[in-house]
Amino acid sequence: MDVKHLQPFLDAFLSVMPQLGFSDVQVGQLSEKRNEVTGNGVFVILGIVGAFRGNVVYSIEVEAAKKIASIMMMGMPVEELDELAKSALSELTNMLTATAATNLSNLVGMTDISTPTVLQGENVTVQMSSDQILCVQLFVDHIPISLNVAFEAF
Amino acid sequence: MKDVRIVIVDDSAFSVAFIRNILESNGCEVVGSAGTLEEVKEVVTAQRPNLVTMDMTLPGTDGLECTRAVHEIDKNIKVIVISSMMDDEIVNEAKKNKVYAYLQKPFESDDLMATIHRVMATEELYEFLQQEYASIFKECLIDGLNKMTKTLLTFKDEYSTSKECASNGITVIIGISGKFSGRMLIDLSEETASSLATAVFRREPKNRDEVAAALGEFANIIAGNACSILNRKNKALGLRLAPPSVLSGENVTISACDFNTVTAIGETTFGELLLNVGFKGGDDEWM
Repeated sequence: MDVKHLQPFLDAFLSVMPQLGFSDVQVGQLSEKRNEVTGNGVFVILGIVGAFRGNVVYSIEVEAAKKIASIMMMGMPVEELDELAKSALSELTNMLTATAATNLSNLVGMTDISTPTVLQGENVTVQMSSDQILCVQLFVDHIPISLNVAFEAF
Repeated sequence: MKDVRIVIVDDSAFSVAFIRNILESNGCEVVGSAGTLEEVKEVVTAQRPNLVTMDMTLPGTDGLECTRAVHEIDKNIKVIVISSMMDDEIVNEAKKNKVYAYLQKPFESDDLMATIHRVMATEELYEFLQQEYASIFKECLIDGLNKMTKTLLTFKDEYSTSKECASNGITVIIGISGKFSGRMLIDLSEETASSLATAVFRREPKNRDEVAAALGEFANIIAGNACSILNRKNKALGLRLAPPSVLSGENVTISACDFNTVTAIGETTFGELLLNVGFKGGDDEWM
């Protein structure tokens, strides 16, 4: 997987987040993993189909997820990550990935996404069918979101 | 066009007559019209149309508030905005309010009819998918398990409400895209996963990666077969699969989707297995 194919996801992040009420949007460090993503908190998984096949996994720790959901819901306090808050995160990742897929379509050809699946847990491992996962640490108003993209070998 | 029942929302008598004329001369049934929020609620409640054409500027309200009122009555009613106002901001607002399509006045009658045809064809296709998919995915699970492990599966429970549930240990997720997007998910305990992987490999899996690989392939075959059957039944569906992801962890909960999914619990030789599948409607298709 070429790093340049990550750019559509970063562009999507930089353009979508400010529209949702986040003022400070930063792209942090890029790293590489073999075939699994680990962590705690909320994991949102979306499939990518079309010119590229793969998956995108957003991983957000619980406290960070609460803050993001709260900002998305016009500052409404989010004490617990309830269904409404998770629905906001699901919608967020849907918007980000749909925009990235549109960007990617312009680069490599028609690319489409599946619906997001939201899971939450501790000591979570997500095994992806790829030998290479590109990970980027993203920050919105200093809240970290980890973006993991894996495409099938091509 | 038969069986399409439409309500026209516009405060101009001329516009109502103009749109009615186009619709009726193309075989649509106009079941009412409205010019205010109260009238919209009244006529939509009484008539339950398939589709509403919506003006944006209305006295005391606007097309977005009226669209929300329509969807409060029935979220399946498709709303097409027909307005002289059209700019990025208003179109984005319309999208957020689940407007299905946006036409700017003045418009050609062919444009309106083409839009309505597309809306209704999408609607019919989605209904077809909703009727078919659950039984097909269930059959493919029985069949896939049988072919890969020579064992049987019986479904003991099934429900279609979307609710959060606790994972039994391992969740395999396959994203689906095409005319409609969705996902299939299989959830099972680690013990069940390990016995299932042993049966698939016909030997003990060497490590966690092998268990994940076996489960991924198992889920991929089931979803692939099911989507192929659906695509053969109606090729307009064009369903395609993303590769499987296998998630495991402690105290994992699987959130409800914002659309209806079907969950079926299967009893197998290896233990219990949960199948969850669903597709989102075409309301985010934009024209």
